[in-house]
Amino acid sequence: MERKVAVVGYTQTNYEKESPISRERIAFDLATAILQKLKISRDDVDTIVFSSNDFMDGRTISEVYLVQRVGAHMKDETKAEADGLNAVLYAWMRIMSGQYNTALVVSISMSGSQFRPLLVQNHTLDPAYERPRGLVNFISGAALQARAYMTKYHMSEENLAQYAVKSLENARKNPFTPKRDGVPTVKDVLNSKPLYDPLRELHTGPFVDGGCAVLLASEERAKELTDKPVWIKGFGHSLDTYYIGDRNIIRVNSLRDAAKRAYKMAGIKNPSRDISLAEIHTNFASEEPIFTEALGLFPDGSGVKTIKSGISRREGKLPVNPSGGPIGAQPMNATGLVRLVEAVSQLRGEAGPTQVKRARTAVVHAQEGVCAQHNVVGILGV
Amino acid sequence: MARKDVAIISVGYNGRFVSKRPDVSIPELIEPAVRDALRKTKLTINDIDAIAMGNMQTFEGVNSPHLWASDYIGGTGKPVIRIATGGTTGMSTFHSAYYHVASGIFDVVMAIAWEKQDEGDSQVGLGGILMPEVFAMFQFGPDLSEGRGLGIGIGTGGGGGSTGSASFQASSYLARSGGGIEHIDMIAALLRSNAAKNPYAHLQVPGCKPEDIAKTPIISYPLRYGHTCPTSCGATAIILASREKAKKYAMTDRVAWVKGVACGTSDATFGNLIDGQITDPAEQVAATMVAKKAYARAGIADPQKEVQMAEVYDGFAHQDLMWPERLLLVGDGKSPEMVAKGAYNIEGDMPINPSGGVVSTNAIGASAMVRVGEAALQVMGLAEGGHQVPRRVRNALAHGWGGLFQFVTVTILGDAPVQ
Amino acid sequence: MPENINVLVPITYVYKNRVGQFIEKFIKGLSQKKILGVKCPKCKKVYVPPRAVCGKCFSRLDKLVEVGQEGILENFTVGHVTIDNGELKDAPPYILGVIKLKKADSAITAIVKGVEPNEAKPGLAVRAVWKEPPEDNFSSLDYFEIIRPSAKKRRR
Repeated sequence: MERKVAVVGYTQTNYEKESPISRERIAFDLATAILQKLKISRDDVDTIVFSSNDFMDGRTISEVYLVQRVGAHMKDETKAEADGLNAVLYAWMRIMSGQYNTALVVSISMSGSQFRPLLVQNHTLDPAYERPRGLVNFISGAALQARAYMTKYHMSEENLAQYAVKSLENARKNPFTPKRDGVPTVKDVLNSKPLYDPLRELHTGPFVDGGCAVLLASEERAKELTDKPVWIKGFGHSLDTYYIGDRNIIRVNSLRDAAKRAYKMAGIKNPSRDISLAEIHTNFASEEPIFTEALGLFPDGSGVKTIKSGISRREGKLPVNPSGGPIGAQPMNATGLVRLVEAVSQLRGEAGPTQVKRARTAVVHAQEGVCAQHNVVGILGV
Repeated sequence: MARKDVAIISVGYNGRFVSKRPDVSIPELIEPAVRDALRKTKLTINDIDAIAMGNMQTFEGVNSPHLWASDYIGGTGKPVIRIATGGTTGMSTFHSAYYHVASGIFDVVMAIAWEKQDEGDSQVGLGGILMPEVFAMFQFGPDLSEGRGLGIGIGTGGGGGSTGSASFQASSYLARSGGGIEHIDMIAALLRSNAAKNPYAHLQVPGCKPEDIAKTPIISYPLRYGHTCPTSCGATAIILASREKAKKYAMTDRVAWVKGVACGTSDATFGNLIDGQITDPAEQVAATMVAKKAYARAGIADPQKEVQMAEVYDGFAHQDLMWPERLLLVGDGKSPEMVAKGAYNIEGDMPINPSGGVVSTNAIGASAMVRVGEAALQVMGLAEGGHQVPRRVRNALAHGWGGLFQFVTVTILGDAPVQ
Repeated sequence: MPENINVLVPITYVYKNRVGQFIEKFIKGLSQKKILGVKCPKCKKVYVPPRAVCGKCFSRLDKLVEVGQEGILENFTVGHVTIDNGELKDAPPYILGVIKLKKADSAITAIVKGVEPNEAKPGLAVRAVWKEPPEDNFSSLDYFEIIRPSAKKRRR
């Protein structure tokens, strides 16, 4: 019998342009918040999987001063240098091995105040071809992806703006994300600063400081620690080839692949029927129709129908990013883990102002690379 | 279903580690290691279920290099994860691959670790560990540079891995053990001549003698130039498999079983400009704790008797004396005696780093994984060039170390799974 | 509560990255007004830019082939910014196109000129325009121009 693993505790900070406290303090606050909520000490944490990125932190081995702050002193601690959702995937495998019963996963970002996120993205491009040519970058790539989808499936810029507005309205209710003056309308989105057509400033969220953490536990421990465990039903991850000219950027095959693996593990045969909530890593509003269709939540090419029908609204049948998603806040490197934290709070009925009705099974997602070259998909359920 | 029996079925290298590879790009450097690991098995790339890859990316200036290298590592269309933990990266990456299989989720997993240090600025790479704290000290604390430049500040005030910081550890170790600089000369000479028997090692000095090492200038007492590691370029790949898949795909019956892995983190000793120095860097309590955990998992009660050899992470030669004691392979303070009587030699009672160690080959991201690979080769009886230890290796220890002198990883390999 | 102390850490770094054997040959080709790809013997696909390994079948590649200089604009975006050292800078609108060249299976990205951004659409024919004199770097392939049906002859 497969060992079952649950998320038993979670916490996140407020996300802001500039954190009033240092990242070391954020780390300490995150870890102590979880320990206090669960009334345990750091002795109850068997292993820690950190998530940080040297370029994003502007320093080599960027976790050197953070690990003690999350209670890793004289403990088993390791790190995935990728979005926090990858760290959860790894922590889950450590528990599944039977060698650990609890795992703390922490991801902190200072992308609002500490460095230039676009410079980090530039370093993510290869130094041999894309970086020196200066044409393809994370924004232009996403724009090409958006344009390709919109052309093929007859989506207008107005429809695209409606996706942005839906997320912005949701973000407004999210107590953790930075507040704007009022909620932008479709017109505001269409008039916002153009980046690469069709993408504009209001199609994407602000880079912020902040972080989040979760505690995973094996079945026996989970039942001792909480009466509302959120079970990890499955995980899948996959990598596509590098150059966007060699990929189908509308289909995003690595996401379809990751989703397939995750659904198979979770025993989900019909995602559009069996999934009741999606928290996905959309750097731009255009990625919402593309990724939700790659995840099998809506039929391929149905982006216009989906946004018009209201099915993906917070009160709809299959809410997508009720937290506002990354359009609300982008703590670079923690963005995917925040999706899991949001989904867990939803499934436990603790999401407050952004709560959706009766969510029982959620899909969470993190991406990496231009046009989502790498994807991690997780399935959670109660 | 969780698995207790996970085996290393092959170890691959891209070739000999060298100081510069101007002829290839990063992905072109890594790819031959993947092919080398595959061709020593009955696997094709399609049989690899997942990949874990790591390096220290500030050394090349490429973020998330597995994205660029996806085709070259056979990663396109596969689950790939990136691991990085400073100096222990190679072994942390290996541990991640191990847990992929031990969890029961994947059956055959490849771990890849590499570094291409000719592409970057190593001082920035290393100095970058502490850069913010150093600048904070410059602005608000005592002047570390006395006008002589940042290098002094980094070299003495911080910078995990640079000789200045390591010399404090070496001095303290010698004081604790009663050894002298001559013992460091002895072990350094042994490692350099061991490397000459390893076709993949970078700095090879056949027949190297302690007198040769003693002629090299002192950088920071008691560490000489001859006690320090090079910067290397190279890649390594290790393939792990479940018991059934090992039987199906290994080309040898004598695979290296992963009997126990453990890791630990202690305080950022030395260079801890913010918290202050609170621990003697030669104490390394975490190493002992982690070793005990790994031995327990491996079912080893008496490491001094049951472990036949070790590959330890020795960025500096004094560490080949220190680690065997901290890892409980020899008694406290016994290393000077052991090295003097030849017990650490390849033919000795407790061979240490027959590969030549990190002090002979240091492609930083790969170094901790090379320790695992070399220990595996010893268990499998496949070490080439004359550095295979003559006695049968029933259990081998591989050790990794890094961060600000704070991260430790240990892997115990054996010729039979844990009973 | 003390005020935040912000420490600015100016780091200058120089990375000397190698483009590798295949991009080196690609750039050499550009300096000779050629666009080079590599053909996979197993998959029979021609990839641009050339690379050492086929992503699909993991075969080692070494057969460099010249691909066509003309192709079809499959997709495009209009850029209103450029990114310079991690900062967004406004730019006069330019077309960044995805082009499927004749004899190639990969699509390449390149600047496209010769049509107003609001008149561009997928399906237009394009051809490579080279810098005169050619250079030993990526900018030797200057941009792609729209082939107008009336312009039957190649412009000098």
